[in-house]
Amino acid sequence: MTQSFYAITWMDVLMSLIFVAISVGLIRWWKIGIEKTLLIGTFRTFIQLTAMGYVLTYFFQQHHWSFMVGLVSLMIVIASYEGYRRLKKYKIPNLFWILLGSFFFTVFIVLGLILKLILSVEPWFYPYAMIPIAGMIIGNSLNSATLTVNRFVSEITHRENEIEMLLSLGAPVKSAVQDSFKESVRAALLPNINGLMTVGLVQLPGVMTGQILAGIDPLIAIRYQIMIMYMWISTATMVDILVLNLVYRQFFTPQMQLKRELLRKG
Amino acid sequence: MNSSSIFKLDKINFSVDGLKILQDISLDIQPNDFTVLLGPSGSGKSTLLRMLNCLNSPTSGSIYFNDKLITDYDITQLRQKVGMVCQSPTMINGTDKEKLTMTQKWTKDGEIFSDNGLTEILEHVGLNSEFLDKDARSLSGGEQHRIALARVLLNKPEVLLLDEPTANLDPQLANKILKLVYQLYKDLKLTVILVSHDHQIIKQFAKRVAFLIDGKIIEEGTADIINNPQISAAQAFIAKEAE
Repeated sequence: MTQSFYAITWMDVLMSLIFVAISVGLIRWWKIGIEKTLLIGTFRTFIQLTAMGYVLTYFFQQHHWSFMVGLVSLMIVIASYEGYRRLKKYKIPNLFWILLGSFFFTVFIVLGLILKLILSVEPWFYPYAMIPIAGMIIGNSLNSATLTVNRFVSEITHRENEIEMLLSLGAPVKSAVQDSFKESVRAALLPNINGLMTVGLVQLPGVMTGQILAGIDPLIAIRYQIMIMYMWISTATMVDILVLNLVYRQFFTPQMQLKRELLRKG
Repeated sequence: MNSSSIFKLDKINFSVDGLKILQDISLDIQPNDFTVLLGPSGSGKSTLLRMLNCLNSPTSGSIYFNDKLITDYDITQLRQKVGMVCQSPTMINGTDKEKLTMTQKWTKDGEIFSDNGLTEILEHVGLNSEFLDKDARSLSGGEQHRIALARVLLNKPEVLLLDEPTANLDPQLANKILKLVYQLYKDLKLTVILVSHDHQIIKQFAKRVAFLIDGKIIEEGTADIINNPQISAAQAFIAKEAE
């Protein structure tokens, strides 16, 4: 069988609305009541991804490293703000800056390793490599950091008395929150680890699927996918530990007192 | 101020969201005293006790421990010298031995206790070596109080703070725990500061008493003031508790 790349057309995209129609039909039949939300989401998907396509086309035509670094930095700032927005109910001091700093550190370390050391991309800022890989790292960092902070606040709220008991015995803050810290990182990493266990058994992962659809040899596509899976677990681990190491300090005064008011959601 | 005091509280105020919890508290605690902070629920007794372990800081005023501002101490070392047992002792996963020795992990120069050393501490609180391997959460209420005391004693504190140690205990057990505390106070030459609203039990053990009502010390003196309070608010509190 000859491999060929099929360039999907706008007409093909319009025809895929049949899937949305099936969903709307089922939702209406069962009177679930979310068809309006679904249709808004459908419209937004079309507009946002179309806009993203034109934006990416423009960026991929640029040839200076500062442009790519600037774009990745902007993506990090947006992700940090999104993380802050998801977590702002906890009123954690300096949260935006913690996320921003942690994401910058993690993204540029991991991106640098992949572009220079592993793939040896030339030039290193080649947009077709840098932007999608950076996007994956940033997206994974955002989801993992959000998960770990959510879990951490839940843990220390649940263990409030235990933490104060440990502090009252003379424990340093880091020791008093150690169990909460470990549970939170565990909870955030487990989805990634489970992904490592089940990848390829239940479904073909997205990057691999996209590459195969584009006509890439599956044996090359899986290598990219394996690299990306390893990249995800490393990103999640780094960002979770970095974020939590900065977040836990925000819950204590300089006199090592637990700020109980932060545990009561606003 | 009396320079031989172990604790000196100077015009302590504490407010939360504009609500005054403690107002203008000044108090001297002498070494080897058994002091009881007495008063109704919500009078600020527990808040004041927590300040001595630096779990809370006053909004204004100063607290001195051995003539040094409390905030000038290394807080972890202060908390080892000023041990605290809360109202309902928190028991966490693990055996009693693990829970007793966890403080060794964060004490750089601290003593490493052998099983014999731990047994000695357990015997101080009326338990024995069999408890080393028991799960702390499987113990009775009285046993958990004893383990909580042992946990604090491992730090070799100078001061023992107890927040309502007999709350949630039946009178017989409450009396046993208080007798144990009093024995430790004598044997180990501790300074004890105990919070309670139960004056009947306390008057057997207290050397000094401070009455707190609405965040203020309204009367303070020897334990005799329990039998003969001078201030009407203290009289009303004693009369109500006696009903």
